[in-house]
Amino acid sequence: MTFLNYRMARFKNGRLIPLRARTRHILLLLLLASVAFLAVSPSRADNFREFTADSFAQIKAQYQGQEFLLGLWSVDCPPCLAELMFMGELIQLNPDLPYVLISTDPIEERQSAVEFLEDFGLSGMESWMFADSFVERLRFSIDPGWYGELPRSYYFDDRHNRQSHSGIVTRELLESWFQRELTFE
Amino acid sequence: MPDLTNLTCRSTNQRFLNFAIAVLLTVAGSVLSFSAGAQTEGCQSAAGYPVSVHCGGAPSATFDDRGRLWVTFVQDQQVFVSYSDDTGKTFSRPVAVNPVPEDAEYNGENRPKILVSQDSVIYVSWTLKTSPRFTGEIRFSRSTDGGKSFSEPRTVNDDGLFTGHRFESLFQTESGLLYLVWIDKRDLEASAQKGEDYTGAAVYYAVSRDQGRSFSQNYRVANHSCECCRIAVAPGEADNVAIFWRHVFGADTRDHAIAMLTPGGQVLDMNRASYDDWQINACPHHGPTMIPADESGNYHLGWFTNGNAHQGIYYGRYSFTAGRTMNVRRIDGNPGAGHPFLQTFNGTLYLVWKGFDGQQSLIRLMTSSDDGKTWSEAETLATTSQGSDYPLIVSNSNGLFLSWLTDEHGYIVRRISPGSE
Repeated sequence: MTFLNYRMARFKNGRLIPLRARTRHILLLLLLASVAFLAVSPSRADNFREFTADSFAQIKAQYQGQEFLLGLWSVDCPPCLAELMFMGELIQLNPDLPYVLISTDPIEERQSAVEFLEDFGLSGMESWMFADSFVERLRFSIDPGWYGELPRSYYFDDRHNRQSHSGIVTRELLESWFQRELTFE
Repeated sequence: MPDLTNLTCRSTNQRFLNFAIAVLLTVAGSVLSFSAGAQTEGCQSAAGYPVSVHCGGAPSATFDDRGRLWVTFVQDQQVFVSYSDDTGKTFSRPVAVNPVPEDAEYNGENRPKILVSQDSVIYVSWTLKTSPRFTGEIRFSRSTDGGKSFSEPRTVNDDGLFTGHRFESLFQTESGLLYLVWIDKRDLEASAQKGEDYTGAAVYYAVSRDQGRSFSQNYRVANHSCECCRIAVAPGEADNVAIFWRHVFGADTRDHAIAMLTPGGQVLDMNRASYDDWQINACPHHGPTMIPADESGNYHLGWFTNGNAHQGIYYGRYSFTAGRTMNVRRIDGNPGAGHPFLQTFNGTLYLVWKGFDGQQSLIRLMTSSDDGKTWSEAETLATTSQGSDYPLIVSNSNGLFLSWLTDEHGYIVRRISPGSE
């Protein structure tokens, strides 16, 4: 509205703004634009990567010949909070556990997602966030047999044979997946 | 004598500042709308007005008695209402329900709701997300001037707690009573205060007998519901309503329960309605659907499960008299199938749901003309190769219509029962 009023006023006024003033205005505009950009940008640093339809293949390629645990979660899922708390403690005691996190929240909500991870000491883990509103395709790229329930976990052995679980992971489950004793408090 | 040059310059500066602010707001606005995933081809093709049913999130729709289609949706933290007199081809300029922006929740499972009474009072409800995690309030507003303006939104949950009150469903009985039913964590909160464990959440409701001017106290339906699935509501005998929801049985079996609610707060005939054995300590985000089968306590049910006994989308017919679900059959067990929605028209039962074939999302339809005993082959009503909402069905006296928001095509209203516009 203000923009339209400005344009109308300008035509009524019937003259151009002097160049120097215009230059100043453009600079002012740029300055304000950068302030606005900072204001809408996340104020916390995070290491989220954009999860798109080919990201899962990238993750698997990155872990070629190695086992890894994949944890899917969302800021909108109360049991995920319990799982992140459990995993945060586990990672602290087993810092070498290969653990990759994928948040199914849109990556634009990265700020609230990183706050969750920070709370549980997981903000340093490899983390991805859904970066495509076509979530069915993203889910399918991971596992056509996953219906969106959260938390959802996958264990891939060093030959990338897969085991899956819906719901909060347990010590017993993780030890059976990794086939070794993990350190718990 | 005043310095006219300076005056002109100052006013130009002022105007430019206004312009700069306007541009900034526009830029910030588009960054934010892009963030919300709203800038799409379907959305952009809409008349050039930025707030639009095509650009907003998670719409719900209803027809009023005169055939006008009313839609509510969320955009930029406001709940909007818009109507269409040509069954969804064109829409009125949206009117904001909440004048002060608030974090109205919108997603497939939890969207704003809209109903219109016989005497044209428009009711809107939604969940306000509050700051502690997983918390919210049940919000309600109404319009008594045909949607030109809305009453100040009010919170219907009466516990004053910053805890979860979410996933509300809004329902109006034939006699005009309004029910709001939702998932509530006040009992979880009370247990936590005592250091006790509490499984899941609870289902609560409130009733308005005066067209939404006021609501009754909140009544508890059941402890230990699932935390994050929409609740299906259907008419019951007299002023009662039937509700069908995902419940936690035992430690973590998330199957379904059914009950009849009275306007006075009584919960009748609560029973288990599905035996799928889905043992899962997780949020399925797959709520059920239900419509009455007749006037003697029989209901058509539709739900999703991935349990040990059943996997996929299921249909069943529940009898309150017999206290069990009969004629249970799988509708679609393919990967990606979910979010069923039931409706009936002229004696035919319509069930739509969302599927995914690896490339496209598909809206699928099956019909039954013998009360759910046998079903047609599934047909595909619509497809998209971009993001999309769950499918819903809206009905008027002429037929049934698919209500579906897509990134690709905007908001679609498409006839699904035989007939012309």
